[in-house]
Amino acid sequence: MKKAVTSAHSCRRQGLASCLVLLLLAGSVLAAPQPGRRVWQRRTPPPADSLLATSLPADAAAQPPLRRPAAARLQELSQQHEFQYTDVTETPANPSLWDRLLSWIWDHLSRLLDTRGGHLVWNTLWYGLMGATLIFAVLKLLQVDITKVFGRAPRALPLAYEMGQENIHELNFADALAQAETAGNLRLAVRLGYLQLLKQLTDRDFIAWQPDKTNQTYLRELAASQPTARPAFAELTRQFEYAWYGELPVSAALYQRVRETQRQFGQQLSGAGRAAHLT
Amino acid sequence: MDPQPLHEPTPLVAQDAELSPALASEAPTNTAPADAATGFVPRTDLSALTGQVAAVRQQIGQVIVGQQDLLELLLVALLADGHVLLEGVPGVAKTLTAKLLARTLDVPFSRIQFTPDLMPADVLGTSIFRPAQGDFEFRPGPIFASVVLIDEINRAPAKTQSALFEVMEERTVTQDGTAHRMTAPFVVLATQNPVEQEGTYRLPEAQLDRFLFKLNVGYPTLAEEVQILQGHHSGFGGTPLEKVKPVLSAQDLTALRQQVGQQRVEANVLEYIAKIVGQTRAHKALYLGASPRASLALLNGAKALAALRGRDFVTPEDVQTLAAPVLRHRIMLTPEREMEGGTPDEVVKAIVQSVEVPR
Repeated sequence: MKKAVTSAHSCRRQGLASCLVLLLLAGSVLAAPQPGRRVWQRRTPPPADSLLATSLPADAAAQPPLRRPAAARLQELSQQHEFQYTDVTETPANPSLWDRLLSWIWDHLSRLLDTRGGHLVWNTLWYGLMGATLIFAVLKLLQVDITKVFGRAPRALPLAYEMGQENIHELNFADALAQAETAGNLRLAVRLGYLQLLKQLTDRDFIAWQPDKTNQTYLRELAASQPTARPAFAELTRQFEYAWYGELPVSAALYQRVRETQRQFGQQLSGAGRAAHLT
Repeated sequence: MDPQPLHEPTPLVAQDAELSPALASEAPTNTAPADAATGFVPRTDLSALTGQVAAVRQQIGQVIVGQQDLLELLLVALLADGHVLLEGVPGVAKTLTAKLLARTLDVPFSRIQFTPDLMPADVLGTSIFRPAQGDFEFRPGPIFASVVLIDEINRAPAKTQSALFEVMEERTVTQDGTAHRMTAPFVVLATQNPVEQEGTYRLPEAQLDRFLFKLNVGYPTLAEEVQILQGHHSGFGGTPLEKVKPVLSAQDLTALRQQVGQQRVEANVLEYIAKIVGQTRAHKALYLGASPRASLALLNGAKALAALRGRDFVTPEDVQTLAAPVLRHRIMLTPEREMEGGTPDEVVKAIVQSVEVPR
């Protein structure tokens, strides 16, 4: 047992020794200078007077030689367009009045714009125009009607006709009826008689006259206000519509019958109006 | 309901409670002319027209409850040779009404369900190569029918919708340099849902302009809904479509259309139509006004409506009634007006109120 312990101790001692040898070898290898490897060392500055001692070599040639082109060649080159750095205006031999006017305008413009203020104006105009174009394009894309900004009406086609409205309260029915009867225009006479009845109904507040209302609307209104008068007015409406919209030829005999019916209805209305007034 | 009355919402007469005042203001008068002795009767016999239209109404009325205004305007479009765009939320019987109307006509019917992957050739047809003959043969698409129901038209992209331009306006389909003419009558009834945005495409303006009417289909009234429930509760006795029988042939319809074309329109009424449409081009709230095609649509529609009402002439009332269905899809509000919550119907109403009725 004791023998085994001593042998283990001797083995451990041998391992440590070999490790130490390896470390020493590696350190020597790393410390040795290698080709291509930079070794950083602190430099000692040279003495102050060493700079004065070393001087630059003297210039062998005092002045470099200059190459000068031949005068003829220089003259030839200067005549070429590419070497003329100022604009040469070609003036025609015999300028017309129009050419002279254009030239005068351009001269003045260039003189104006070729100043500091001119440049400012020019730049302002240019950027302003670009900005306006951009805004216009955006508004066009968004389909914005900019005319509204100036208080104008939106774009709409103007009506190709007059929107005049006939007012039955301003018509002189007696004269108009007499004229139509005299002229033999009995269709018109039937129409005027019917309009006269509408006026009477409106005057008595049985219906509310409006130019956009149809005859059927008035019939509904009359049915609500004067139910008893509705059947007679429905028949008169039918006669008017057949004569006017249906373009039915109205004979003298037919007209007499229609006119009589219209008169009777008018008288009924007068009676109904008086009764309504009394109640 | 459609269209809205312009002035008085008060019902006019108690003759037909289902009709709105604007549409029910006049009952057909030719059946019992009150003033026959005095000569104030239609100079054209419209009894066949009104009788056949009444038969169509009666057939559809077996299934559809309410929607009388819608039905009347569909019949007007049918008589005026125009296409109709039906807009409404799901479940208000847009498709059913269109199918029933088609069923009352004894003409070829076709239905196209527009989907996002639908191609123009799927609608119009395509040329197939025949190896035996060594040539191409045109196979007509489902558009080749007399009544075409296009369901959910706004679910197809603009490419497919554009395929309808030519056929809707010119009644021809040009394929490989050959124009294939549609047989008369040719009516497109299209439906769309205004609420849903996902997977839908806005219809091009050019296509919208090709529809005679855009009809807004609203909800039924309480009484109508109760009637619908009662009908379903008691059982219809089979498929609703089977109850409806064809009552109008293509020849009948052509004859009725010719009669409608001969309706009288006084010069002042023509000017009235032009003024209303012209106002849409000058109105401040509108970015785009209606085209002359709208004026023609208003004229043709008014003539058909007058015929349905038993008159052989057009009155301003007919024009006013149809102003909104004709113009609402042909005008575009300005962005400002749209942001304010304005609607095309409001603008049309204001325009109509600003134009004097010729009298």
